[in-house]
Amino acid sequence: MDQLNQREQQDFQRIVEGKQMKDFMRLYSNLVERCFNDCVNDFTSASLTSKENTCVLKCSEKFLKHSERVGQRFQEQNALLTQQMRR
Amino acid sequence: MSFLGFGGAPAQPSEAKIAAAEAELDLVTDMFNRLVDNCHQKCISKSYNEGDVNKNESLCIDRCVSKYFEVNVKVGENMQKLGSSGAFGGR
Repeated sequence: MDQLNQREQQDFQRIVEGKQMKDFMRLYSNLVERCFNDCVNDFTSASLTSKENTCVLKCSEKFLKHSERVGQRFQEQNALLTQQMRR
Repeated sequence: MSFLGFGGAPAQPSEAKIAAAEAELDLVTDMFNRLVDNCHQKCISKSYNEGDVNKNESLCIDRCVSKYFEVNVKVGENMQKLGSSGAFGGR
């Protein structure tokens, strides 16, 4: 990528921050949808059963850990790819 | 940066450089998000017996990411090959 000068970097940084916020909201609503669909199927009560409750907690914890691991591997693979392209 | 015509691309205006950086960021973010979704779908058991990613799932995730990248490269190469052969409207 082209080098950005200091001013351009500041502008870009602001864009990145805006995107991070949006990305976080997206992650949040996706996770709600995912764990709701995977854990909640019984509508005989209006609040979560204890089973659904633990399922939701594990679902969200697991997803975040999954995402973290994918992130690590993603970085490694990306670095590898860049290295190969430079050669 | 071009200096005396060396270094390839001519000097771009700031907006173009920032837009290019933004497009690249969007591309990488999009690929990452797809990767997370697809490998979750293929590797993570929906029974949620534990909050941790277990050993089998971890192994599956590692291989899933690796293969996703491999497919990415393969499809790119193949598109290039098919494209240059003129099989698809000469593009």
